Amino acid sequence: MDEKTLKRIIEDVMKEMAVVGAPAPTGKPAGRTDNATTSLVISECGPAERGTNPREVVIGLAAAFGGRQTQTIIGLPHDQVLREICAGIEEEGLNYRFIRSFRTADVGFIAHEAAKLSGSGIGIGIQSRGTTVIHQKDLPPLSNLELFSQSPLIDLETFRAIGKNAAKYAKGESPSPVPVRNDQMARPKYQAIAALLHIKETQLLDPNKKTQELRVEYR
Amino acid sequence: MDQEQLIRQIMAEVMTSLGKDGVTFQKKSPAAAGTIGRDQYPLGEKMPDKVKSATGKVLSDFSLEKLKNGELTAEDFRIAPETLEMQAQVAESVDRESLARNMRRAAELIAVPDDQLLIIYNSLRPYRSTKAELYGIADELEKKYKCTVNAAFIREAADVYEKRGRLKAD
Amino acid sequence: MAMNSPNDPKPSIRVEGGKVVELDGKQRADFDMIDTFIADYGIRLENAEAVSKMDSLDLARKLVDINVSRADVVKLTTSMTPAKITEVVGTMTVLEMMMAVAKMRARLTPANQCHVTNLKDNPVQIAADAAEGSLRGFAEEETTVGIGRYAPFNAMSIMVGAQVGRPGILTQCAVEEATELNLGMRGFTAYAETVSVYGTEAVFMDGDDTPWSKAFLASCYASRGLKMRFTSGTGSEVQMGYAEGKSMLYLESRCIYITKAAGSQGIQNGSVSCVGVPAAVPGGIRAILAENLIAMALDLECASSNDQTFTHSDLRRVARSLMQFVPGTDFICSGYSSTPNYDNMFAGSNWDADDYDDWLIIQRDLKIDGGLVPVLEADVVAVRNKAARALQAVFKNLGLTEITDAEVEAATYARGSEDMPVRNVVEDLKSAEDMMKRGTTGVDIVKALSKGGFEDVADAVFGMLKQRVAGDYLQTSAILTRNFEVISAVNQPNDYHGPQTGYQISDERWEILKNIRQAISPESI
Repeated sequence: MDEKTLKRIIEDVMKEMAVVGAPAPTGKPAGRTDNATTSLVISECGPAERGTNPREVVIGLAAAFGGRQTQTIIGLPHDQVLREICAGIEEEGLNYRFIRSFRTADVGFIAHEAAKLSGSGIGIGIQSRGTTVIHQKDLPPLSNLELFSQSPLIDLETFRAIGKNAAKYAKGESPSPVPVRNDQMARPKYQAIAALLHIKETQLLDPNKKTQELRVEYR
Repeated sequence: MDQEQLIRQIMAEVMTSLGKDGVTFQKKSPAAAGTIGRDQYPLGEKMPDKVKSATGKVLSDFSLEKLKNGELTAEDFRIAPETLEMQAQVAESVDRESLARNMRRAAELIAVPDDQLLIIYNSLRPYRSTKAELYGIADELEKKYKCTVNAAFIREAADVYEKRGRLKAD
Repeated sequence: MAMNSPNDPKPSIRVEGGKVVELDGKQRADFDMIDTFIADYGIRLENAEAVSKMDSLDLARKLVDINVSRADVVKLTTSMTPAKITEVVGTMTVLEMMMAVAKMRARLTPANQCHVTNLKDNPVQIAADAAEGSLRGFAEEETTVGIGRYAPFNAMSIMVGAQVGRPGILTQCAVEEATELNLGMRGFTAYAETVSVYGTEAVFMDGDDTPWSKAFLASCYASRGLKMRFTSGTGSEVQMGYAEGKSMLYLESRCIYITKAAGSQGIQNGSVSCVGVPAAVPGGIRAILAENLIAMALDLECASSNDQTFTHSDLRRVARSLMQFVPGTDFICSGYSSTPNYDNMFAGSNWDADDYDDWLIIQRDLKIDGGLVPVLEADVVAVRNKAARALQAVFKNLGLTEITDAEVEAATYARGSEDMPVRNVVEDLKSAEDMMKRGTTGVDIVKALSKGGFEDVADAVFGMLKQRVAGDYLQTSAILTRNFEVISAVNQPNDYHGPQTGYQISDERWEILKNIRQAISPESI
């Protein structure tokens, strides 16, 4: 994506936000294709409850994940992302559940909410753009066990490793953290688009809606 | 207010002994006598024998040797309310009232244990506490640690949180 | 929009019975949390109504005019509302803003800050890099973590390393707020910086704080004799999804007023980690300078960012930095990556270890003082080695995980974490957790250094701990000399009022700055 496109998107977003109460934009973000071959169907099935199974990891999705947005910032389809995380958890012989937070789009809070609802006390939070956190219920919300803050650097392999490590924490093990990656040029390349994707996420928030239990199907 | 009285007394002592040591004040502090100003700053360099730790030990007596032989412990490296009051006066002497206000809130909090401070801070974060809980914290701070300014500040926060819907839901 | 948005409120203030009843077009009944906090604590009310009615262009001229003293300007600016000050700086070009920065910076002498981090959270490398950073002239050093649970080790390593390079360097470890305070209370850090504030209430909530919680946190730090500054920056509200259609600068100006209102001595601002957002819009880099200027005009210490990558263009990144580099700020970068950027865990700085020679040459070319000095290779090697050995002794005497001689050797010559042996991360994390549970403090670190034969380093860490008893570095813009003398805006205020006034590079300093023939590049080590 070139600078000009970025500028235009930012300007568009600023305009959108200036118009109070305007209908949510329907245009596609330029440079990314939203017609990925996703087969993810996510439905809500009532307020999420605290689990009692100590062998579960709860995965908390941000508001737009697998719905209004269908892929991460580098174009990984959300269904594949979830499949990898779940496969990682299954490899360790544990179960998983999905929830969605509507009160916050902050990945730390989403992960912490998931952890608090998890029977094991371990949760994973994930934003639509791919930013992910592994959390434990007795840590402060903006602290974490492992944080993957640079969404452009998270590939499918990393998502699987995240699932696996979360499951290990849930079993009371001390896994070696997934190696941290760093790319000093990710910001110039992706920050503006990340801002846009986050704005789209926050547009779906509803402070009065309770966290929902989700049914996730791959069709 | 007895705390203020105490501080004034200490200040008076400090000023008297400063005079004995032959320190003169060429430039008059803008505030009335009995206050510290920019001319006494840095306190640690200009009057280390008048600066005491929260445990009452005099700064000029601090040495590495004493730390090593256990005479000085971690507790001794904590600032005293009187020192923060002096720093607040220094800040005021250069027209930084809000910084001085912060230092005076801080002076009250010296008595509050580390763990307790962290708990109170977390309780002040959004959606963490009910109004009654915040008022309870304020009462405790006031009764147990004489933190009157902080108590008022926390009650004020509770009222604003209520108005803006930032209290704990249940 | 970066600045001058048509949606920005028109400046106004109305005071009744000592209370603000209207602020920037809003009535008290409609105030959000931030409006309330600013109205009640952030503005000098005596002249507020009068200043609000003054012509903004006239006020901007006073900011630039060398014949109007800094003190006189501060009287006006601290009486302004957020919308007013936004309007005032909105009339200025970057050149005029730079003139104003030269006058409004709080401390007489400019300084610099560096980042000391690495991809593997390797403590030995942190100690060695910190020591080199001190030698190179940074007055403050900041670390952070890849893995959160490494925080105690990183904080300890940067403190020990920094004191080896030059006694009196202030160090911090940027992590989650409560954790950061805990590290400070124990004496692992001397100050804190990532106390973030935001310009809209919604973003504040996502940041998990309120103006009251942040002000309380500020008092907590001061109550333990710890220096602290807030952090904010244009673009964070856009980045976090709630900008309310206002210009980035107006929202940032609210952050700076919250900082002032909370009684923080200073702020790190200049977009910081959100720089990609303003940098992508017209006039965005100008807005960044404008926000630095607002902080200084409100009489706050300003650590002026220049600390994050935002472009692939070397020309753009230098142009962006000259705005602060030329006039000088309290901390020009906050910070400069002391490692190659691949190790920079703040996701890359605008300047890194490979740029040291360029920074020094720019100082020499323009005869400006950006806080750094040329160094000799032998000195660099010596302090790196000593820092690694000192940390080895601390780890040993505190019963922590082992630091091998091979690691000390590698850290002495390492350019970055690629050159370091791999540590057992799981063991390190357990060891760090145990140490925290045991209640280890800075006093224990001093003892461990002394026991290991590093008496001078023990004395330097002891000197840092002593600072918190006197509290002199709690005053605005404070840094320490190698003899632990405090230099701040109280005893060395900026008095610039035209040519040959304010900070002047002394002949002695100029000899040091210009003599860079023996400068080394990291590759040659």
